[in-house]
Amino acid sequence: MTLNNSRSAPLSCAEFQEQLPDLFAAGGNSSIEDPQIAEHLKSCENCSALVRDLQYIADQAKQLLKPTHEPSDNVWKKIQEGLAADPSYAAGPGES
Amino acid sequence: MELQGLPMTETKTAPGLFKRNPPIAGEAEAIERAKAGDAEAFSKLYALHKRRVYTLCLRMLGNVSEAEDMTQEAFLHLFRKIGSFRGESAFSTWLHRLTVNLVLMHLRKKGLQLVSLEETINPSEEDSPKRDFGSRDTQLAGSVDRVALERAVAALPPGYRMVFVLHDVEGFEHNEIAVMLECSTGNSKSQLHKARLKLRELLRESEPTAQTDLKEAAL
Repeated sequence: MTLNNSRSAPLSCAEFQEQLPDLFAAGGNSSIEDPQIAEHLKSCENCSALVRDLQYIADQAKQLLKPTHEPSDNVWKKIQEGLAADPSYAAGPGES
Repeated sequence: MELQGLPMTETKTAPGLFKRNPPIAGEAEAIERAKAGDAEAFSKLYALHKRRVYTLCLRMLGNVSEAEDMTQEAFLHLFRKIGSFRGESAFSTWLHRLTVNLVLMHLRKKGLQLVSLEETINPSEEDSPKRDFGSRDTQLAGSVDRVALERAVAALPPGYRMVFVLHDVEGFEHNEIAVMLECSTGNSKSQLHKARLKLRELLRESEPTAQTDLKEAAL
């Protein structure tokens, strides 16, 4: 990721953190190409901890894909009722 | 019925979704039989996917009764549309996309703004994540279990939660979310970032007293 300016002054924490949504969308740490961003990340302990935490949260979120909740038996009963009342049920499922 | 943002013919899957949704044993056969109108096969597909569909609905809606109603709708819709599934993406990805769009349509009917412009531009003091310009603290890494994360996600403001669940949990891309939520890609990225910042804040608050002890020791 490249920052859209040509300054060579070091980034402030606020300026660095403004770049984070795009930085993460571009692939996180591994996608940093801008030397100003890379330098700030290297030298600022606080921003570097923030990036690590946000990356950790994104990684941990994947474990939530595994389901934990079970619908009540009533849901299947209602689906069966819905199918029985659907005229297309007898003719088989639709194509469109 | 044509769902908003979801042509019911198959769309190209986001990279990685096949990897995250590997085929389930016996699923392909059940799909083919269900396409031919076999009620028993449809029952099998329900048994295979009910928990993930229901969990997705529950996370998006935060309400058991509505989540059960939408699970029912999703499977009824699945039966009507299963003939259009061609196997070009994982079946579960296709089913989840169908479910997400049904839930979003339901929320729109209720008059809910899915991505709050207000929340994006001018977040309320209570809901907005705190900027992190100066303070140092211990890291989250290794300290967050699934239960704590699930609880923190449930506590997110609805707009943040929606984008976080769609992107970080379900694996949709920002451009897909932008279409689904009728917002810009930039808005989706921004909402996701704010959601993660808010989660970090919630998770830190829920951590054991170790951090407090460290802070006190530093005074």
